[in-house]
Amino acid sequence: MAKGMFVDTSICTGCKACQVACKEWNSLPGDPAHFRRVPDRPYRVAFNFTGDSYDNTVKLSATDWRHVRFIEQFNESRSEARWLFSSDSCKHCNDAGCLNACPVKAIVRTDMGNVFVQQDVCIGCKYCIPACPYGVISFSEKTGTVHKCTLCNDRIHNGLGTACAKACPTGSISFGEVADLRKKADARLARLKGLGFEKANIYGYNEAGGLNVFYLFMDRPSVYGQPEAPVVPQQRLMSSTAVTVASAVVVAAAAMISFRERGEKKKEEVKL
Amino acid sequence: MSFETQAPHWEWYYIAIYFFIGGVSAGAYFIGSLLELLGSDKHRQISRTAYYLAFPLICVTPVLLIADLGRPERFWHLFFYTKEGIPYMNFTSPLSVGTWALLVFGGMSLLSFLNNLIIDGRLKSPALEGLFRHVPHKVYAVIGSFFGFFVAGYTGVLLNITARPLWASTDPLIGSLFIASAASTGAAAIALVMAWQKISSRDAIKEVVVFDRVAMVFELALIAAMIVVAGRYSAPLSKGLYGLIFWGGTVVIGILLPLGLYWYGRRPGAAGVSLTALAAVLVLFGGAMLRIAIVQAGQLQ
Repeated sequence: MAKGMFVDTSICTGCKACQVACKEWNSLPGDPAHFRRVPDRPYRVAFNFTGDSYDNTVKLSATDWRHVRFIEQFNESRSEARWLFSSDSCKHCNDAGCLNACPVKAIVRTDMGNVFVQQDVCIGCKYCIPACPYGVISFSEKTGTVHKCTLCNDRIHNGLGTACAKACPTGSISFGEVADLRKKADARLARLKGLGFEKANIYGYNEAGGLNVFYLFMDRPSVYGQPEAPVVPQQRLMSSTAVTVASAVVVAAAAMISFRERGEKKKEEVKL
Repeated sequence: MSFETQAPHWEWYYIAIYFFIGGVSAGAYFIGSLLELLGSDKHRQISRTAYYLAFPLICVTPVLLIADLGRPERFWHLFFYTKEGIPYMNFTSPLSVGTWALLVFGGMSLLSFLNNLIIDGRLKSPALEGLFRHVPHKVYAVIGSFFGFFVAGYTGVLLNITARPLWASTDPLIGSLFIASAASTGAAAIALVMAWQKISSRDAIKEVVVFDRVAMVFELALIAAMIVVAGRYSAPLSKGLYGLIFWGGTVVIGILLPLGLYWYGRRPGAAGVSLTALAAVLVLFGGAMLRIAIVQAGQLQ
């Protein structure tokens, strides 16, 4: 059965252990801080820090397969504040836009339900990149291919959980059977609702055919940078094709009429 | 807080220019084969020009496509799944189906090209003459036209079937728009070459121009529909460099101006052929700008 992850953002502390564990296990390079001189300062200043709370990578990329978002919420007088964290990654959609778009079968689904890029097949056409409604999969100039979270394909096929779940100190990320994880998520949601967290919601039961990596959010999904109603692009394939075929017929008919009419006019002129 | 899809970072000088050249080739081929099928001798000059244009143009396109790949040496994976050693096509991927269509269209346009050389007496090949005697060239022309439309239109569907805001919100119209533009630029290319050669009759050029006008009016209607359908997501096409390229380059210089020139050129006494040639150049320019604007504006962050 499908394996996946449940990310309970309500108990995430934003420690980024998952980001580090992911980089360690998958041998992904980090982007070092770059320092440079600026006028009027005797010391060098880092210029590639984001300045956005504790966020250090901004988004997922070919070398950042996990990304912890930091969301600072204040009321108008800034007397009250809430700091939300959410560890984001590939969601291993059951209806995966990247997999549907791949022209060479480099992107496949394994027997454990995870979506995996076969690095020796990928040609680097980059069509999967705009096909992902979550902006997950990314191109690497270094390898000329695309990369994303594999759900630790090597680990899970050898009886281990994902590296990020293993490293998570609060149990915010849990790895397991999707069905079991859903039970856990439902119970946790019921408990939070009982405690008065009305806005708490689960993201990923229905989106993109169901997400194997799904979330419990304390606020609307858009607050966490997730689309509220993601559309898997290929759902529009039939209608888009139909309209294009209809236009082709219109153009062909227009050509036939425009060339034929003139031909006939000429004949009439000759007769006269 | 943003939830952004990522841009593929396709280079305009590879992908957008491929969309344009593929469109011109497919549009020209379709016009040529249609006139061959209608079967009148006086159109012979037009279809001859079309077939001589289509094949060399389509030969350029694989170079552009392969150059944009991250691993160009693996381009053949598009046809062959290496893990199982079998031919491969992904029906849910316009890019995959389109690649096969490009291959078939390339083959058909080569046959038409060779057939023309034989008819013109520039090539002697008993084998090919035998082939065309058994399976008449019209059969290849029909197949080639079908896949020509595919090559012209799939590029638009390919953009529509993504999650990028501009491309997704203009669904399902980019495919239609690219087909209209392919027909228009194909006709313009034929008219330009015929005007250049000076041996063609002005009547023949006029006929191509008449169809080009129809295609351009259809294209204008589709652009209007696209802007309406996309609503606020059409913003990248209305501002900055790509706004200038789209509204200035495509709509004004590439469609409205040549429509005016064609119209003016109809009057007796007007400097017909050179005016037509100028208009055709503008149409081709506009077609290239259309592809660049839509492909690149859709990739803006």
